[in-house]
Amino acid sequence: MKFSYNWLKDLLKFKESPEKLADILTMHFAETTVKYCGKRAILDVELLSNQVAEASGHLGLAREIGAILEKKFIYPKINLKEKNLNTKDLLNIKTESSNCNCYLARILQGVKIKESPEWLKDALADCGVRSINNIVDAANYVMLETGQPLHTFDFDKISSKSATVDKKEIIVRQAKKNEKITTLEDEVYDLSEDIMVIADNKNLLALAGIKGGKESGIDKNTINIILESANFNGVNVRFTSKKLGLRTDASWRFEHNLPLDLTDYAVDRLAQLIQEVAGGDILKDKVGKGVSKKGKTLIPIKWENWEKFLGWPIKKKEIIHYLSLLGFSLQQKKDYLLAAPPCFRNDIKIKEDVMGEVARLYGIDKIHSVIPQEILAIPVQNEFFEFRKQTKDWLKGYNLEEVYNYSFISEEDKNILPNVWQQKLIEIQNPTSALTKYLRPTLLVNFLKNINYNFRFVNKIRFFEIGKYYFKNKESLKEHFVLSGVLAQKEKSNNSSALFYETKGIIEDLFNRFGVDKDNYSFKSLESNEYSLLLEQGTAIYKDKDLIGVIGIPKEYLLKKYDCEENVIFWEIKLLPLLEIVKEEREFQSLPKYPAIIRDISFIISQNILIDEILNIIQEASPFNLEDVDLFDVYVGENLSSGTKSLSFHLTFRSEDYTLKNEEVDKEMQKIYKVLKNIGGEIR
Amino acid sequence: MDLKQLKKGAEIGISLIKNTSDLEKWRIKYLGRKSILSLFFNSLSKLSLEEKKEQGQKANAIRQLFSSLYKKKKNDLENNLSVSSDFIDITQPGEKTYQGHLHPLTSTLNDITNSFQKMGFSIIEGPEIEAEYYNFDALNIPAGHPAREMWDTLWIKPTTKKEKSKMLLRTHTSPMQVRFMETNKPPFRIIVPGKCFRYEATDASHEIQFHQIEGLMVGENISLSNFKAIIEEVVKDIFKQKVLVRFRPSYFPFTSPGVEVDIKIKTKTKSQKSKSNDQWLEIMGAGMVHPDLFKRAGYVTNRWQGFAFGLGVERIAMIKYHIDDIRLFFSPDIRFLEQF
Repeated sequence: MKFSYNWLKDLLKFKESPEKLADILTMHFAETTVKYCGKRAILDVELLSNQVAEASGHLGLAREIGAILEKKFIYPKINLKEKNLNTKDLLNIKTESSNCNCYLARILQGVKIKESPEWLKDALADCGVRSINNIVDAANYVMLETGQPLHTFDFDKISSKSATVDKKEIIVRQAKKNEKITTLEDEVYDLSEDIMVIADNKNLLALAGIKGGKESGIDKNTINIILESANFNGVNVRFTSKKLGLRTDASWRFEHNLPLDLTDYAVDRLAQLIQEVAGGDILKDKVGKGVSKKGKTLIPIKWENWEKFLGWPIKKKEIIHYLSLLGFSLQQKKDYLLAAPPCFRNDIKIKEDVMGEVARLYGIDKIHSVIPQEILAIPVQNEFFEFRKQTKDWLKGYNLEEVYNYSFISEEDKNILPNVWQQKLIEIQNPTSALTKYLRPTLLVNFLKNINYNFRFVNKIRFFEIGKYYFKNKESLKEHFVLSGVLAQKEKSNNSSALFYETKGIIEDLFNRFGVDKDNYSFKSLESNEYSLLLEQGTAIYKDKDLIGVIGIPKEYLLKKYDCEENVIFWEIKLLPLLEIVKEEREFQSLPKYPAIIRDISFIISQNILIDEILNIIQEASPFNLEDVDLFDVYVGENLSSGTKSLSFHLTFRSEDYTLKNEEVDKEMQKIYKVLKNIGGEIR
Repeated sequence: MDLKQLKKGAEIGISLIKNTSDLEKWRIKYLGRKSILSLFFNSLSKLSLEEKKEQGQKANAIRQLFSSLYKKKKNDLENNLSVSSDFIDITQPGEKTYQGHLHPLTSTLNDITNSFQKMGFSIIEGPEIEAEYYNFDALNIPAGHPAREMWDTLWIKPTTKKEKSKMLLRTHTSPMQVRFMETNKPPFRIIVPGKCFRYEATDASHEIQFHQIEGLMVGENISLSNFKAIIEEVVKDIFKQKVLVRFRPSYFPFTSPGVEVDIKIKTKTKSQKSKSNDQWLEIMGAGMVHPDLFKRAGYVTNRWQGFAFGLGVERIAMIKYHIDDIRLFFSPDIRFLEQF
């Protein structure tokens, strides 16, 4: 909020420069910067939400500066010259709505509407308010001065209480169904029963606490005016302002629950100022619903609490000094202090608030830093967090770049997804645009966008991300951490199988690094898995019967959609199940007692026979002493007839009970040759 | 025979030799027992004495030339002076190996979490899709509270018509304060890193998604001074270069009092002083935990006290790496990623 430096200076008579003052306010109150309007300095104070009620007027801020600079601030006294005619003889206020905390009105007769004097225009301009006429400007000025929003009605435009009684009546009530109001700016709003209005017996005069109506506004012919100074329920004002999409300076102030006492002072001050700039007579007294005096809030704080909470030894004398500066009433008891916050500080409710005020005035930046004397304890390791951190480190080693994508996908992305996927999307109720309408159900979509974008700079893309995907399961909303990634290569001519094997190799190696044995997971076909709707070819990774991830080539329709018709391999692995596997107990296996015999075997076989099948056949052929079968070479190409591949394996034989003899192994090899020949293998 | 021709052939031959085995072949060809020159000497006996003398002298000169060529070449090869295929040019760049890169947000997050872990803080995590209660109400921000304006929210569209509690994308990591305290008793010190979301028009300094690290330390005597000391230590640890830290008042409904922490990088020379370097930059909102939160967690009143804070990870990364646009973090661009 903008404050005029000169105005503040007039109120408090301090010597500090605008820049110095901004510094002091930043360190003791709220972040403040200096701006200039011509030669006049303006302080832009970013009032905190709890400070609006107290200091959104120049008087409040001057009082606050006074406390910080230890300079006594005196509220300007108001002396009104009132006429004998009493306000209550001309005006009645009826407050029906419980959302109205108090409502006070005064009447001025015989005012002259004209332009405001220069000093008034300047003051408004400094605070970013447009000048309209002397009456409206005076109301805005007093609002900027006191913080209390004020409103003026043309007395003669208000209807009488009834046909028989010649007395005007203002009613504060909730709107009726289907009522409409036209504001000063000619905007029409449809109202409902939860909205509070100011009305007379015929018309709606204003949206309470937000905006005046056209019917009752001041115009150039206005002579007699009614001044309104009221306090409305903050929650209701906020609700209405949101519902109608109409935010005003007044509504912003009311939302912050202004102190009730302000109304009385402000309406008198406004009467005084209008008389000064527009002439006229002020009628005797004010009418309406006044403020019922509340008992003061008393907050007891034990003397021993201060050091315990703030952390440094602070003297009683200092505490009393700071709190007095802030306007607290204090009673010192033997064991505790009884602190009563001033009426304008309705944000001070508990002892921590009071102690905080002392810290603030003393200067939080100046307080002593003290390392806590706590019991030394090794922090509990967060397994899952550390696991993800380790995974990232290792993936980096495979020449993969880590990325962070948005957690959202767009309406357009949704439409390309298969039905099964669309149905589980979590939708955002108020997306910022069509681009952020849904939470991502897989990381694939955003990766495809990355590929297209980055192929402008490189021919090869190797990205990974560890992040969450989100989906609906019946009524519950789920979010899971996944490890996903893409390998992509520009030229389509390159066969994608090489890229697939590379990806699979990375995943296998990653699992291996975590000590996950090949026996603990398996690669199966995608089949009925929902990823099969996104991937053309690929494999599903299983732990027993649970799907934990996939590797595969995205389907043509996806590649086309995102303009990346290249070789693309995508993978996605659920991280929590993977961690479960990693955590499974690994037992030490005793070292072998007898030596192994290693034989190599190479053969040519049809490409249709999968490696897995061959491994199984070899194992079955020699079920007892064949310890390990390890594929070390695959060859396809020149010198081989098409549709065939050459495979080479290391076979490790070992017995747990004795040293194997070469002749025994020869026999086993014969068995293996035989089964391989049976499936069409040609031993080399 | 043509001795001139022989001499020329031998000279060219030896100049092309790059290793000792080829040199040996050359020696056998030109100086060996069956070399042309030897055969020539043998044939001299058939000539007259005068011819023998003249031709012999010429051939002898050539033999001496050949042996000296041989000795020199041998010497050169052994001392590695001529070009050989085994030669290593130590100034040639080495063969490139390829490594990926961690995202700057990951490295920054690791730096921060490491620092807090050293100070004994444990890492806790929480959901990104959060209930309205934990994100707001439990933090003293009921519907209608003006402070809700500080957290523009992305709401989840209700899945069923029966309105249970409204769900949203968490606007900060603070919901974990209440969630954690509901199931844990003090004393404790935790940090909660995680992704957060705001309804925000994106520009160079605003994003719809960002990361925060929540901190919470509660005990019987954890004071405002303790908060100050811990933050000063951690900031010093994160920014190895010296930074200035500043504490000033702030307000959050779930703290009392509220504090804001700013940092400024110390610059020595004028050339280092860019505009962004010379400003105080806000890095966290913090404060002493509001006693209402302890009440909600079911703690005994007036026994526990402590501090909480929310640290912006992007902010720290931007300061650390001098990144001027927050959007670069979430729009993967290889030219950006490769720099870290």
